[in-house]
Amino acid sequence: MRLNWSTLATLYRTELRMVLRDRRLLLTSVVLPILVMPLMFLGSNWSLKKREAKLQSLACRYAVQGPEAEWVRDLMSRTRERLAAEPKGTNTAPFEFEEVACTNALAALEQGEIHVILEGGKTPAGAAGPAGEPAGPAAASRKPELRPRSNSAPAPLPRSLRLVFMGNHDESVTCAHRLQEALEATRRAERVALLLERGLPAPPDKIAAFSLVDVATPGQVAGVNLGRVLTLLLVLFMLTGGAVVALDSLAGEKERGTLETLLTTGATRLEIVVAKHLLIITVALGITLAQVANLLVYVGLKLVPVPGSLAAAVTPATGALLLVLLLPVAALASGILLLASGRARTYKEAQFYFFPLFLLGLVPAVAPLLPGLPLRSAVAIVPVANIAMGVREVLIGSFDWPMLALAWVTTAAAAAWTTRGVLGYLSAERLITSSERDEIEFLGGLPLFRRRVWAWFAVLWAVLLVVSSYLEKADLRLQLLVNLVGVFFLGSLLMLRTYRLDPRQALALRQPRPAVWLGVLFAVPGGMLAAIGAFHLLNFVIPVPPQVLEGFQQNVLPQDIPFVQLLFFLSVLPAFFEEIAFRGLLLHGLVGRFRPVTVAVLVGVVFGLFHLALFRFAPTACLGVMLAAVTLLTGSIYPAMLWHFLSNLGGVLAARFDIPLAHLDAGGYLAGAGILCAAFWILWRNRTPYPGLNAWRDTRPRASQTCNE
Amino acid sequence: MPSACSLIPPVNPTVIVRDLTKVFYDDSRGELRAVDGINFDCRPGEIFGLLGANGAGKTTTLRMLATILKPTAGRATVMGHDLATAPEAVRRSLGFSSATTALYPRLTARETLDFFARINGCPAERVSARVEELIDRFGIGAYADVRVDRLSQGMKQKVAIARTVAHDPPVLIFDEPTVGLDVLNALDMQKLIAAFRDEGKTILFSTHIMSEAQKLCDRIAIIHQGRIHACDTLASLRAATGLYYLEDIFVHYVEQSRSQAGESPASTSCA
Repeated sequence: MRLNWSTLATLYRTELRMVLRDRRLLLTSVVLPILVMPLMFLGSNWSLKKREAKLQSLACRYAVQGPEAEWVRDLMSRTRERLAAEPKGTNTAPFEFEEVACTNALAALEQGEIHVILEGGKTPAGAAGPAGEPAGPAAASRKPELRPRSNSAPAPLPRSLRLVFMGNHDESVTCAHRLQEALEATRRAERVALLLERGLPAPPDKIAAFSLVDVATPGQVAGVNLGRVLTLLLVLFMLTGGAVVALDSLAGEKERGTLETLLTTGATRLEIVVAKHLLIITVALGITLAQVANLLVYVGLKLVPVPGSLAAAVTPATGALLLVLLLPVAALASGILLLASGRARTYKEAQFYFFPLFLLGLVPAVAPLLPGLPLRSAVAIVPVANIAMGVREVLIGSFDWPMLALAWVTTAAAAAWTTRGVLGYLSAERLITSSERDEIEFLGGLPLFRRRVWAWFAVLWAVLLVVSSYLEKADLRLQLLVNLVGVFFLGSLLMLRTYRLDPRQALALRQPRPAVWLGVLFAVPGGMLAAIGAFHLLNFVIPVPPQVLEGFQQNVLPQDIPFVQLLFFLSVLPAFFEEIAFRGLLLHGLVGRFRPVTVAVLVGVVFGLFHLALFRFAPTACLGVMLAAVTLLTGSIYPAMLWHFLSNLGGVLAARFDIPLAHLDAGGYLAGAGILCAAFWILWRNRTPYPGLNAWRDTRPRASQTCNE
Repeated sequence: MPSACSLIPPVNPTVIVRDLTKVFYDDSRGELRAVDGINFDCRPGEIFGLLGANGAGKTTTLRMLATILKPTAGRATVMGHDLATAPEAVRRSLGFSSATTALYPRLTARETLDFFARINGCPAERVSARVEELIDRFGIGAYADVRVDRLSQGMKQKVAIARTVAHDPPVLIFDEPTVGLDVLNALDMQKLIAAFRDEGKTILFSTHIMSEAQKLCDRIAIIHQGRIHACDTLASLRAATGLYYLEDIFVHYVEQSRSQAGESPASTSCA
C-alpha cells in the first residue's frame, strides 16, 4: 500500500486545523494548565513558606510532669543556656519555649493550650508510663523519647524523659521534634565536654570517623533520577494530551457520520490512519512541550527546585538520542489511543476505554523504578519498559547499543502493530453498520482461531513472565510444573475448547512414515550443535557474562534434585507440553496464512521468546525452527516431540557429565551441520506435508478482493 | 460550463452490478442477507432509483458501491474499476452523499470543498478555481467562510452536495438526500440532482418517497428484503402492472414477493 504524500499532507493539515479550532481542547489541555500551573506553584510555595515561617517562629509551650519534673526543668534550663550561647545565625529562627503550668496537662494538650508534655520518670524507656501515670493518647504508639542522664552523680535508676505530643497538630509535632533535637544536642554537648575533661584527646566524632565517597559524577546521579521518571512522564503527557484528540478522531467522527464520508473519498485507509497518528503525536507532543516550557519558566523563577547537575546529565547529543529512543513510545501511545477510539462506536464508549488503557500504559513505564532490573534481560523485549530502561541507562552514561537497538525495534514494531490494528478497525464493517460481527467472528472455529492466535500467545507470554518472576526462587520442579502444565497445557486446552478445534488436526496427531524416526535420530546431535552455534553467533553481538551462564546452569541443574527426576522434568515434560503449545496450536494457527518457511521461522522465534532470557533466545529459537520444520514436513507432532525430548536429554547429560559440547572446534560444528543436512534429506524424502500447508497461495488473491485496502 | 477537474472520461455503462450479495452476522439476528444477489447497470445521463422500504437493502447496496462495505459475493464495477481490486479508483470516480450531511463542523464551507477536492485527487493548481466554481453554482457565497456548525440545515445540505461533486466525479450516489429537509429545500435538491443528470453524470439515488422517485428517476428498481423485484422505467412498470401510481406499483411487487416468499424467487435482473 503506497502513501500519497499530498493526500497525507491535506488530511493532516485539515485535521490539525480542526483541532486548533476546538476551543474546548485548547482551553482544557493548553490554556488552563498554563494558567493553573503558576497559580498552583505560587500558591503552594506561598503557603509552604508561610507555614514554615509560622512554625519556625513558634514559641513552644510545654508542661512538665512526673516524679523527675525538677530534673526535666534543670535539663530545659541548660538547653536554654546552650542555645543562648550559640553564635547567631546557626538556626534560621531562635527557638523559644516556655513552660506553662497546667493541672491537667493531657487535656491542655488536646485543647491546643500547650504543644508538648515533658514527662520525667525513672523507668527505663520502652516500659510503662513514668510514675504509673497513663501516657497521652498518641504517645504510646509514637514514643518520641529521650533518655538524658545527668552528668553529676549517677542516679540509682536511669532517668527517662518522654515527650508527649499530638500527631494531628502541626504545631505540636514541630515543637516535639525541635525540643527533642535541642535536648539531644544538649546531652551530646555535655557528654563531649565530659569526655574531653576526662582526657579524651579529641571530640568523639573526630575519632575513627567514617565518611561516604560517591564516585559517580553529579551528572550521573541527576541522570539516574531523571531516567527513572522521564519515560513515565512522557507516557503520562502523551496519553493525557493525546487522549482528547484521539478519542474524537475516530469515535467522534463515527458519531458525527463524517468517518463514512471520509472512507468514500480517494484517501486510502493507511493515509487516513497515518494522518491521524501524526496529528495525535503532534498535539500530544505540543501539549507536552507547552507544559515543559511552562515548567522551565518556573524553574527559572526558582519556584520549582531542580538539581544544578541536571544539565550535565542531558547534553545535546544525549538529548538527541533520547528523542530518537522516545519516538516509538510516542507512536505507540498514539496508536493505543487510536485503537481505543477505533474500537469504540461513540465518543462516550471511547472514554470508558481510556482509563484502563491509561493505567496499562503507565505500568511498563515504571520499569526503571524497579530495583536491580537491567536492560539486558527479558525486559529488553517488553515495549515501553525497554525504552524506559534504555533512557535510564543513557542518562547514566551507559550506551549498550545492541540492547538499545533491540528496545527501539521492539517498541517500534509494537507501534506498527497498533497502526495495523487501527487499519483493521477502519476496514471493519462494525464502524458503519449495526452488525456486531463479521463472518469469521460469527462462525468461530479454526478461521477465528487463526485470526486470534497471536493475541493468545501474547497473553500466554505475559502470564509466563509474571509467573516466572513470582516463582523465581521456587523449587525448579514447581516452576516447571506451573509453566508447562499451568500455562502451556491449560492455555492449549483453553484454545482447543474456545474454538472447538479438532485435537487430532490442531495437534497434528498423525503417524509419520517409519523412516522419519531414523531422520529424527540423526537430526538430534546436528540440531544441538546448530543451536549451540546459534548461541555463539549471538554471543558475538550480545556477549553473555560467564557468571550468567554459570548461574543458569546451577539453577537448571540443582544438586538437591535426584537425577532421574531432573531428566523427567527437563526432558519429558517440555517435550510433551511445549510441543502441544508451539508445534501443535501455534503452528496450526499460522499454517495457511504464511509460506511454510515463514511459519517455521515465526514458530521458532516465538518459542525462543518464551524462554524469557536473552542468551537462551538464539539456541531455543533455532531448535524451535527445526522442530517446526519437521512438523511441517511430516504433518505430525510426534517426531518433534521425540526430537525435543532427545535434545533436552542430551543437554542435561552433557551438563551433568561435563561433555564440552559448547567448546567444539569448527570441524565439530561442520560435522554437526552435515549430519543435520543428512537428517533433513531423510525427512524430505519421507515427507507427508502438514495439511493445508500451501493454502497461503489461495489467500493472496482473496486478500486483494476486499474493498478495503 | 467546463469542469475544472474532469478526471475520468465516461464509459458506457458506468456502473455494473452482478449478483451482488451482502450477508451480516449478528448475535441477536443471526445470519442476515441484507442484499441478495442483485443485478443492474447504470448509464451516463441517467438517474437510477433504488426504491424500497426501510431495511430493504438500499443503503447497503450503495455502501458496497462506495466501497465502505465488502460484498459477501458477486461483483460490481464503477467506471470500469472493480470494487474489489481497485477500490481507490472506484472512490475517485464517485461522489457519495449519505443520509446525513456528515460535514466537519469546525471547517468553513470553502475549506470543506477545498479538502474534499484535494483528497479526491483534484490537481492542486485547479482546486481554487473548482472551489470558486462550486460556490457560485450552489449559491453558497454568502456563507462560504462561515463555519459549518453555524449553518442552517438547508445550507449544510447544499454544502454537502457541493462537497460530493467537488472532484467532479462521473458517478454520484445519493442515499436518501432529502431526508430531514423542508419542502423548499427538498425541491432545490431535486433540481440539483436533475441538473447533474443533464450534465451526463450517472446518478444512483435511493429513496422511500414515492413522489420523489416518480419525479426524478429514469429507471426505478423496486427492492425488498435485499432483492430487486422489478426494474424498469416508470412507463414500463405501469404497463407491466396495469397500475398508475408508483405507490400502488410498489405495493404490488412487495405483496407479490411476499406471496412467493416460500418459493424463494430469484431477483429480477436489471442489467
